[in-house]
Amino acid sequence: MAGRAGSGAGMVEGARWRKWVFFYVPLTFFVVGTLFPFYWMLVTAFRPDGELYRPWRAVNNTPFWTTHPTVEHVLYLFQQTMFATWLWNTMFIAIVSTIISLFCGLLAGYALARLRFPLAGGLGTGIFVTYLVPPTLLFIPLADIIRDFRLGDTPWSLILTYPTFLIPFCTWLMMGYFKTIPKELEECARIDGASRLRAMVQIIFPIATPGILSAGIFAFTLSWNEFIYALVFLSSPQQKTVPVGVVSELIRGDVFFWGPLMAGALLGSIPVALIYSFFVEHYVAGLTGAVKG
Amino acid sequence: MDAEGLNRRKFMTISGAAAAATVGLEGILAARQAPAHAQGTKLHLLRWNDFVPAADEVLLKQMPEASKALGAEVTLERINANDLQARITAAISSGSGPDIIHVLKNWPHLYEKSLVDVSDVAEATGKAQGGFYPAMTELCKVGSSWRAVPHAIVGGQIAYRKSLFEEVGAKEFPKTWQQYREVGTKLKAKGYPIGQTAGHTFGDAPVFWYSFMWAFGGKEVEKDGRTVALNSKETVESVKFAVGFWKDACDEGGLAWDDSNNNRAFLSGTISATINGASIYVESLRNKDKYKTEKGALMHTDILHAPNPAGPAGVFHLHAPFSHAVMGYSKNQKLAKDFLRWLHGKEQFEPWFVAQKGFSVGSTTDWEKHKMWDLDPVMLPYRTAARAFRLYGYAGPPGRAASEAESKYIITDMYAKAIQGMKPEDSVKWAESELKKIYT
Amino acid sequence: MSEARRRPIAGGAGGATEAARLTTLPREATSMGPIARLLEDERVLGFLLLVPTVVLLGLFIAYPFVKGVWLSLTSATVGNPGQFLGLSNYIKIWNDSIFQRAAYNTFVYTAIATVGKLTLGMWLALLLNRHFRGKRLVRASMLLPFIVPTVLSTFAWKWMFDPTFSVLNWTLYHFGFIQTRIGWLTDPAMALGSVIVVNIWRGMPFYAITLLAGLQTVNPELHEAAALDGATAWQRFWRITWPLLLPVTMVVTLFSVIQTFADFQLVYVLTGGGPANATHLFATYAYQIGINTGLLGEGAAVSLAMFPMLFIIVVIQLWYIRRVEGA
Repeated sequence: MAGRAGSGAGMVEGARWRKWVFFYVPLTFFVVGTLFPFYWMLVTAFRPDGELYRPWRAVNNTPFWTTHPTVEHVLYLFQQTMFATWLWNTMFIAIVSTIISLFCGLLAGYALARLRFPLAGGLGTGIFVTYLVPPTLLFIPLADIIRDFRLGDTPWSLILTYPTFLIPFCTWLMMGYFKTIPKELEECARIDGASRLRAMVQIIFPIATPGILSAGIFAFTLSWNEFIYALVFLSSPQQKTVPVGVVSELIRGDVFFWGPLMAGALLGSIPVALIYSFFVEHYVAGLTGAVKG
Repeated sequence: MDAEGLNRRKFMTISGAAAAATVGLEGILAARQAPAHAQGTKLHLLRWNDFVPAADEVLLKQMPEASKALGAEVTLERINANDLQARITAAISSGSGPDIIHVLKNWPHLYEKSLVDVSDVAEATGKAQGGFYPAMTELCKVGSSWRAVPHAIVGGQIAYRKSLFEEVGAKEFPKTWQQYREVGTKLKAKGYPIGQTAGHTFGDAPVFWYSFMWAFGGKEVEKDGRTVALNSKETVESVKFAVGFWKDACDEGGLAWDDSNNNRAFLSGTISATINGASIYVESLRNKDKYKTEKGALMHTDILHAPNPAGPAGVFHLHAPFSHAVMGYSKNQKLAKDFLRWLHGKEQFEPWFVAQKGFSVGSTTDWEKHKMWDLDPVMLPYRTAARAFRLYGYAGPPGRAASEAESKYIITDMYAKAIQGMKPEDSVKWAESELKKIYT
Repeated sequence: MSEARRRPIAGGAGGATEAARLTTLPREATSMGPIARLLEDERVLGFLLLVPTVVLLGLFIAYPFVKGVWLSLTSATVGNPGQFLGLSNYIKIWNDSIFQRAAYNTFVYTAIATVGKLTLGMWLALLLNRHFRGKRLVRASMLLPFIVPTVLSTFAWKWMFDPTFSVLNWTLYHFGFIQTRIGWLTDPAMALGSVIVVNIWRGMPFYAITLLAGLQTVNPELHEAAALDGATAWQRFWRITWPLLLPVTMVVTLFSVIQTFADFQLVYVLTGGGPANATHLFATYAYQIGINTGLLGEGAAVSLAMFPMLFIIVVIQLWYIRRVEGA
């Protein structure tokens, strides 16, 4: 890229200059800023413990790379902890609760955005208000419910509670998307003899795909991240999720196992990053041309 | 693992059904209920994730033995100590959860009404092993009945660098705070300050600042446990001293340290001394060649321990006490007590105690005499550490108010505010007014 | 602009089809079973579609919420239901200096973090909307901060802010910007700022990606026409892009404000509310009182004190959304 910058005729030169200042420089700033902590995790995950404890002004401090990379932390993670199981649990819980939330949010969003029925406004606000409920201490009364339904220490305790904070967002986001879809599309289908339900499922939902993906990404990430419910409702080591498992096993008293902790953070996110990278393209592309007034 | 796999598959099929029927609760209940509740003879023990993995290994090995001995399946779950209270709170308010929970700090007082009276177990154990340290009794015996069986104490002592102290002319560890400050000033001038935290931490900050206040004769309340007595000449003196001590001798980054920072700072050779559990030394032994001094010597050969220096009022320590409590909602209370009697017995406690190598000391005086202490002279100061053990809330009982004051970091912040520039008198006044709100 | 352009057409078409539906309905009705006919009724279908949501939320949130409100009115502690106190918990916390500090912190935290996330997210979305080599990779990697479990990424930040080992200090020192270290989390004046930076880092990608998707719907012809009329890039952004993105932006902001306001994990891990309460938020303080001290009633009151304030913020935002949508 840098090599090409020098070439070019006079008029383009000006444009080039502008492009650097207004595009490449800020983009680089964003890439570095966003990815640096990530890079930091990567280096820490492969850094031998001895190098970890070098103060910031030490002469032999090489914070940005390591001279003796090691895989012992990754091995530790898989051999000494149940990381693979946690990964699978988290994935399972996040996927199922995302599906449930999307399903509910999609239907509710459609109903609230498209159908006229009594109490619609009230219900919409009601769903929204549940999102305002401060979650910090919610887990205490929620524990009563988990006990009554005998869901304790099962993935279902999370699969069924996560939607409580996912559905409101999904519903409202979908409402927003449905509102931008022109009504005539649906009306045409209905003139052709499709029922209300069919028009909804076959005409409107496909158009709303970008919105569904956006809500899905959001819901999945939140369930993937959740800590306090997972901490409180699960007790067997083989049921735990990545955040809880990693924190429970890799922080012992006042000593952090930095290498495995960071390796866990990385390995826990790379599969998701791959899935997302696929979705993001699809999602951005899906929107193009779909919603044009 | 196998049963787990089976369960998981079962869940998968149910999940399909649930998605179809939206509310598949009944199905889930049916699937889950049978194995978890049919046998009433499961015992669930929740503990912190021990700093000494070898000791956890001992426990894990003991669980099958206990299962055999008691005819019930005993399971051990371990989590980060910071997260124990969230679990306890949820368990107590929903009336379901682990049968036995590892309680720290003054939790036997805090959760008194939800814990089973274990006086029989505690008294028998204490009697058989030379009697509990008074602080442990005060902690676990609420009113006239024991709410937890004392298990062990993680002692706090000052870990310091022998070579650095010798370089500035301190042949042995300073005996008083005044001397400690003088030595510390020289050390800081050489680039090796004393490291202490004044942040909101689980352990190290209260451990340091409470014992500091006591050494100067400060106290939170009178013996009645109601009259706030913080704003005294002694307390103000201690705050003034702390400000100077901090500036002259301490690493100023300590304001935001958590419990792990001083460990890292010490092991990396940036500080010369810090009060801590033995984890710094144990860690340096565990990975001998990873931690070196600036001269290239192995770090563990340069570490020594010493008790706190004395203030005008004497030497005090706030250690970290660990006990086991049987939960009031447990359906297996008798079983749980039997288990505790077994676990706390000399025979079972000994291998665990030995594995701790002094990181945890016994809660009874007999363990001071154990031959384990002959193994490593560096650990010797921990042997008698529990003798100078005092609890927060002093001179009152370590009750709920004491724990509110502690969890709001009032004493810690009293010092932190002064260090950040507030007038010592004002910071004491602020802390006093906060304490008054709590104690009335 | 296109919003305005679209509406009359949509309205017109709607009016036309309204008439069409009236005529077609009977024909359809004959070929339908009674259930299907029932589903054609907007009211029935509307309620039916809401059933799953209402059941789930009703089961899992209604009771905890009511119980939470009840707790805040009692002197409940862990293991002790306590007595009804009326509003005295609220009065107590109102006069509590730590609570006041936490309230102040929460507002500052939410305001700065939200503005930061929105501005940076918008900027990044505009950048990513252009064509350049490696676009796919950059777009995907920008999401990473959002994906890493918060607890774990916050540990990484904590390590980067560490007073003794800070890589940030190392960098600044080596470039000659500083001589002594910066106490990222140590200095009470810096600590809240540092925590906000982490929040922005974590939340910005979601804004960027959502807004990026929104940008795709903006018709490039509008930009071209405006450019021909001599509008600068800045003017084109404010006159064309911004109004079109506003609906999506508002929803994302709305939810982000709520989340930021109730943030817990980040501060809990980074500072635990210290030094000297400089970073306490509502949620961390509620946790400290409710869980660590066992004063459930008072903790619930601190936690619920968020509710009216959030409510006001949200009402303003909702009102703004309605106005923007021009209903």
